[in-house]
Amino acid sequence: MKPLILHGHERSITQIKYNREGDLLFSSSKDQYPNVWYSLNGERLGTFDGHQGAVWAIDVNWDTTRFMSGAADQSLRIWDCATGFQIGKIENSSSVRSCNFSYSANMAAYSTDTHLGKHCEILIIDVRNADDSIEKVQPILRIPITGPKVTSMLWGTLDKTIITGHENGELTQWDLRIGKTERSNIDHVGSINDMQMSKDGTMFITASKDKTAKLFDMDSLECLKTYQTERPVNSAAISPLFDHVVLGGGQDAMDVTTTSTRIGKFDSRFFHLVFEEEFGRVKGHFGPINSVAFHPDGKSYSSGGEDGYVRIHNFDPAYFEFNFDCQ
Amino acid sequence: MLAADEVKSSWADEVEEEGTAGALPPPTEEIQNGMKIITEYKYNDDKKIKVVRTFKIERMIVSKTVALRKTWNKFGQSKNDKPGPNPATTIVAEDVYMQFISNKEEDNKPEEDVLDKLKAMGERGAVRCRKCFGDHWTTKCPYKDTVLAGGKITDEKKPESAVGPGGVGPGMAPGDDKNKSQNSKYVPPNLRDGSNKRGDSMSNTRSRDDTIAIRVSNLSESTTEADLEDLVKPFGPIHKLFLAKDKLTGHCKGFAYVHFKFKSDAAKAVSSLNGHGYDHLILSVDWSKPLGQNN
Repeated sequence: MKPLILHGHERSITQIKYNREGDLLFSSSKDQYPNVWYSLNGERLGTFDGHQGAVWAIDVNWDTTRFMSGAADQSLRIWDCATGFQIGKIENSSSVRSCNFSYSANMAAYSTDTHLGKHCEILIIDVRNADDSIEKVQPILRIPITGPKVTSMLWGTLDKTIITGHENGELTQWDLRIGKTERSNIDHVGSINDMQMSKDGTMFITASKDKTAKLFDMDSLECLKTYQTERPVNSAAISPLFDHVVLGGGQDAMDVTTTSTRIGKFDSRFFHLVFEEEFGRVKGHFGPINSVAFHPDGKSYSSGGEDGYVRIHNFDPAYFEFNFDCQ
Repeated sequence: MLAADEVKSSWADEVEEEGTAGALPPPTEEIQNGMKIITEYKYNDDKKIKVVRTFKIERMIVSKTVALRKTWNKFGQSKNDKPGPNPATTIVAEDVYMQFISNKEEDNKPEEDVLDKLKAMGERGAVRCRKCFGDHWTTKCPYKDTVLAGGKITDEKKPESAVGPGGVGPGMAPGDDKNKSQNSKYVPPNLRDGSNKRGDSMSNTRSRDDTIAIRVSNLSESTTEADLEDLVKPFGPIHKLFLAKDKLTGHCKGFAYVHFKFKSDAAKAVSSLNGHGYDHLILSVDWSKPLGQNN
């Protein structure tokens, strides 16, 4: 396969996300400009200019009209996808670490960092009529977190719950009707860097600094599978087409220069969803991979790395013909 | 685009422009049977170069919403981009392949494979002791601790080592005029003969595989990948198979590379397939040469 390299960022990629149809690919990095690309030919549609700091998290709503980004300038911004205009902005007391539209995109959830005596918080806001006044509107729900901070977040089934991954590896499911913890567990022993849902929304995969990725049931938070690697996992995604998962990682950016260069370190690694066994690798990045995403049709995937590049890979016929051989 | 071309209608203007030092022919764009060909001219270190890029135009049927999004105007930093990917932000990378991991045993193998492969290149001096010029690393030299009168030995061996292909042995004495004239060009450490080629995984990843790759040439135009696979399969398991095909027509260009899992199988294939009649042509099969050796 000949990957497309998207070189629109000056600094390391923090997150990449496809929209629902997969024709657009959104990317954010530690520079201040989230980008949007046509996934088919790698053409850049535009940049969302306005943030003053590293952009940590992005999301796009169901019908690709709104785009949301949370950044280290302590703001959460909502943009118009078609024009790149900023619709609304919410200032917070610390940087925004994760943000997600609910499935219906009537609501959005975001979390802030623990910083300088400020506690981590989860906020649920109404984004149905997002405009300039959104900052003055009280959030629907404000959940203060006293323990380890939230590092990743997902909406649960029917927008009734949210699931948060924490710095210490804890997973918590919140009931939004009462604003309390419904269930929680600690299966990971390191920070949960990323969580992504399966296509049907029954399972999700976590990527953790403890060198594993795990598959959980959406409702019961039961750990179903574990994918073991030798490096911290920064991101993991579930194929919508096959029983495959892709893991992206590598050691911490700060350790890169102090350890030996060995093959297989910055590869995207493909595991079988059920048998938990690695069956393939794709190399290409010059640094750890920070975010991976499958195209919604499962025929291509993208990865964004510490090297600042996003790579779109269209799978070769060999991938579709590959049959996992279980002895 | 078209309008821009028409402005320069007068041939006199064009001649004048050519006369001035910095003038470049305007970029052209033409569409030929489903292919868009863009020709641009630019300067590269005072040399005028022509860049021709060919794009395939594909028509796809997509849902209305997706089609509508394709018509959106570009915004932000891409506002002034022309339709189509901007080469400044979108680059087509080199081919990469998914490496399939078929079983666990192979996982443990690569470490010793590398050394074996280097030893196999022995005649070319990949693994050579700097002290006794034996077929092993200097650190493992049996004469390591004995004083082999270093200077004397190297003096005798000098002519031989200078003949080696561009090799600058680290143990070689500087100052010898003959050596200097031949090896005055700087050779980066990872390209020297004695290097273990491990540090340069970015630029030279191909070379690691090339030791067990064979090149099959003089194939007929109608050869397909399946044909080639049938041809080489009997010799042993294949790691990778590459058939050079014409981009437009999809016909075979006449040569192919086959990567075997084991060297012995590859050797068998070279010896028995070379000169083999296949599809009214006589095949020529040889080891695939590493990139640097062609010139």
